[in-house]
Amino acid sequence: MNEVEQLSAPLAIVVVAAVLVVGVYVSSVVDVVAFRSVAGQRLRPGSAALHPARVARRLSRQQSVRTERPDMILRVLAPAAFLGLAAAAVTVIPLSPGIVVADVRTGIVLFGAAQALAIVAIFFHGWSPNSPFALVAGYRFVAVALSYELLSMFVLIAAAIPAESLSIGAIVESQAGLWNVIRQPLGLPLFLIVSLGVTFSGPLDLLDSNDLAGGGSVEDSGMQRLAWQTARHAMRIAFAACTAAVFLGGWHGPVLPGGLWMALKTFAVVALLGFLDVFVARISAERFVRLAWGVLLPFAFLNLLIAGVGAL
Amino acid sequence: MIGTIDVAFVVFSVAAVASGCGVFRVDSMIRATYLLLASFLNVGAILVLLLAEYLGVALLFMMTAEMIVMGLFMVMFMMNPAGLNPMNMVHQPRFAAAAGVVAAAGVAVVAVFADFPDAPVDAESDTIRELGIELLGGSMLVFESIGVTLMATMVCSVILSSATGRFGDGYEGSVAPALEPGGDHRPADDLYDPDAAMGHSMHGMDMGGMDHGEMDHGEMEHDS
Repeated sequence: MNEVEQLSAPLAIVVVAAVLVVGVYVSSVVDVVAFRSVAGQRLRPGSAALHPARVARRLSRQQSVRTERPDMILRVLAPAAFLGLAAAAVTVIPLSPGIVVADVRTGIVLFGAAQALAIVAIFFHGWSPNSPFALVAGYRFVAVALSYELLSMFVLIAAAIPAESLSIGAIVESQAGLWNVIRQPLGLPLFLIVSLGVTFSGPLDLLDSNDLAGGGSVEDSGMQRLAWQTARHAMRIAFAACTAAVFLGGWHGPVLPGGLWMALKTFAVVALLGFLDVFVARISAERFVRLAWGVLLPFAFLNLLIAGVGAL
Repeated sequence: MIGTIDVAFVVFSVAAVASGCGVFRVDSMIRATYLLLASFLNVGAILVLLLAEYLGVALLFMMTAEMIVMGLFMVMFMMNPAGLNPMNMVHQPRFAAAAGVVAAAGVAVVAVFADFPDAPVDAESDTIRELGIELLGGSMLVFESIGVTLMATMVCSVILSSATGRFGDGYEGSVAPALEPGGDHRPADDLYDPDAAMGHSMHGMDMGGMDHGEMDHGEMEHDS
């Protein structure tokens, strides 16, 4: 195994912050580009590039509405925890050969824990404003999230089998000859479904959509809304980076340096998630739960079987 | 000499105990559930400090998923709309207090008088591999039996509590008996409402609600 360079603490904080800031910006630009190009709206590059800044400026100047008797601790904690968990998830993903913020041996388990806790943070976001629609959205999200929680873990464990390690760095190294997207063809689509779910976008936009009576964000305004949107984009980056590392070979690729390959692949996944968000219509919660337990979970077992047989 | 790890241990321990106490002081199932989760998260962090890296992180992951399930299912099964009804989390408070004091005293006696082994784990040793060998070696029968038993328990509890169980509508058993032999088994003023029952059954895990009863208002609303 390669010598892994563990970054010093101040440098690690700078690296994680940079990944998240750049990632959140790019992900928000992707959102507006996806929406406008699908809608056939004329798109000036300058306008798209400035869009996130405009949204941030508008929301930071907007009045902040206070609900009646909110759970203030959880109301502040929810976006902070969601963002913090995205940051924690980014730390275990190798950014280029031998460079990872925290080279823990249980990388994918830690990623899974961050993802599970993100579901709690999202529930708190619905619970805390003391508002019926937000609460309904929170419970609906949890009920649906339980259906893809298992998928994510089985898919990640399957990817760990050829690497014989739970470290994401080792999983990337195991893909030197053959990427997991080909070796385990079911893994990538299943993990993309989980990514859409935890970032509540596209078919699984069952939390925040405007036509679900505002959903979990119905009471959000001003900085609260800005913080929540930022955290959501950060989580999308964490999932995109994980997808790139676990299924798309991470830093492996010809000519270009490894870090650049990793960035390009992460960007490709962010763009894919952004366009799926616009293209794919929302599925009703009940239908998705049936689909998840009846079809997707057996596919995840099949994926695990393929990985196991391949390892023998 | 007090190092970072000692400080972290004290912080996590105090937080674990404090949130554990909070479980019994709050008045809501959801708050109690997630305070319990907070307590477990701190215990997981202590396991990581002890270099039981996999067990610690797996505890974070498993307990989070478990508490999400517990919170959702408690609210679903206990007729407490959205977990918002205030409720006391303590039963038999005097007995519980006495049992708590005795248990705490027992743990304290062990902590003070037991002779703990001093065998620090080498940070380089492959504890994850050793754990895997243990789980799938000598202890395999125990763990697999527990796993299957828990799985069966969960499936059975869902079946028993779902509105549409294996033997038809779960509401059948919960309506009042007939007032006279051979009479309608539902008095006119019974609160039983077939519309509501149908609407409710659609929320259950088993989606077989379409099998019995015509397409009525409850379903229409749900499909739209």
